[in-house]
Amino acid sequence: MLEIVSNKLNPQVLPHLHIWGFEVPVYLFCGGIAAGLLVISSAMLIVKKDHEDLRTLQLATLLSPIILSIGMFFLFLDLEYKSHVWRFYTAFVPTSPMSWGSWLLLGFYPFALLQAMILYKDKLPRIALLQALVIQAERWKKHIAVLNVHIGAGIGVYTGILLATFYARPLWSHSVLGLVFLLSGMSSAAALMLWIAPSTGKRQYSMIDMYLLSLEAFAITVLIIGGITGSANTRTAMLDFLAGPYAPWFWAVTLFGGILMPLALETLETLGKVRFSPLTPLLVLVGGLSLRFVIVYAGQEAATFY
Amino acid sequence: MSRERKYAMIIDTKRCVGCSACVYACKAENNVPHGFCRDWIVSITKGTFPDLSLLNRSERCQHCEDAPCVTNCPTQASHYQGDGTVQIDRDLCTGCKACLAACPYDARYIHPQGFADKCSFCSHRIKDGLNTTACTEVCPTSCLTLVDLNSNDGKAEALMKGREVKIDKPHAGTKPKLFWLV
Repeated sequence: MLEIVSNKLNPQVLPHLHIWGFEVPVYLFCGGIAAGLLVISSAMLIVKKDHEDLRTLQLATLLSPIILSIGMFFLFLDLEYKSHVWRFYTAFVPTSPMSWGSWLLLGFYPFALLQAMILYKDKLPRIALLQALVIQAERWKKHIAVLNVHIGAGIGVYTGILLATFYARPLWSHSVLGLVFLLSGMSSAAALMLWIAPSTGKRQYSMIDMYLLSLEAFAITVLIIGGITGSANTRTAMLDFLAGPYAPWFWAVTLFGGILMPLALETLETLGKVRFSPLTPLLVLVGGLSLRFVIVYAGQEAATFY
Repeated sequence: MSRERKYAMIIDTKRCVGCSACVYACKAENNVPHGFCRDWIVSITKGTFPDLSLLNRSERCQHCEDAPCVTNCPTQASHYQGDGTVQIDRDLCTGCKACLAACPYDARYIHPQGFADKCSFCSHRIKDGLNTTACTEVCPTSCLTLVDLNSNDGKAEALMKGREVKIDKPHAGTKPKLFWLV
């Protein structure tokens, strides 16, 4: 027999880690969509010469910082020492993904907003300084878009790497998690753009989302293979994830309902077999949110590194 | 120039009776809030009756030399103090809980006031030149000893001589500084 008795009390680490509630997955989801919107809209500004569907690009660029702000509000709710939130900006710690993320988020706003102002220049208030800024910035429109692709990708990867560097938590400790969250954020963003696009412009966003969902499914497969072929720690955590209490959510809502089913629907919609339905992007968004919830919750329930 | 200290703790599991005096001394000394603890006792029973063995271990923060809580802290609130200990600057802590997620020993908790908290090796006593912690002072079997590994006093060597010395989760690569004599 082996019996271990402990009089440790600390509730946040017993019987397993449970420090992060719904706020963190919501923040990671919002951060992922905001990053995806910025990457896709900026990339389209770079590669496309004429923008038939300018309204969708305008909305995507505008929604990106708004959705990020909603996410950051949830992150703020999660902080235990809220009055010290400004302390994130008193240091830069290169080994801490959270520190990288804090500074990247700071860089996100000025350039995302500048891009939105360029796209909405006709609707801006007639303030001389603002108009002058937009006229100057417009000359650098493509350079700003290139910068925004990189900032957006950085934020998207960060939402996964944030968890992946905690090697004490075996389910999270995979570098591919950064790629999974980036692709998931981008596919959710493409789904949102598909939703808001006019019927004439839906096909291109549907095709973008199909590619992204396929890549996401591939990245999740790599994550699973990496887990079950890893050390005893990671194998146990991954098997618990695949067959434990969060398994129905993962298989049914995230993988089937949030990736495979919308992928099939988008294929049919793009081929013109069925009409574009708001159900398809809704499924992708629910799947993206579900992915963050199951990973954050199941990762905390996995046994600490042993 | 003064010598750099490197504090560690040696815990003789053959002497420990699992009385929890160290736990309550720590709570009193450091005003640890109700429902939390900075140190704790783990009792491990192995074997088949009547051939049973019991191991009592007084556990706390390992004050790792390569501490993942320090590398993951975004504000440098968790830091190396320069005397071999890992400390938390409450004024810098945001309560983001990255250190709790990073610690492979689950040694931390969030204080009800919002900052991360853990064993400090009673740094206030060390600063006062006491070179003891509340737990080492109160232990009725003297199984806990705070040692300075950079000292030439021979204290650590004398305690470890002829004994099997174990550290927890060496494969984590954190270079912990709690040494259990088994």
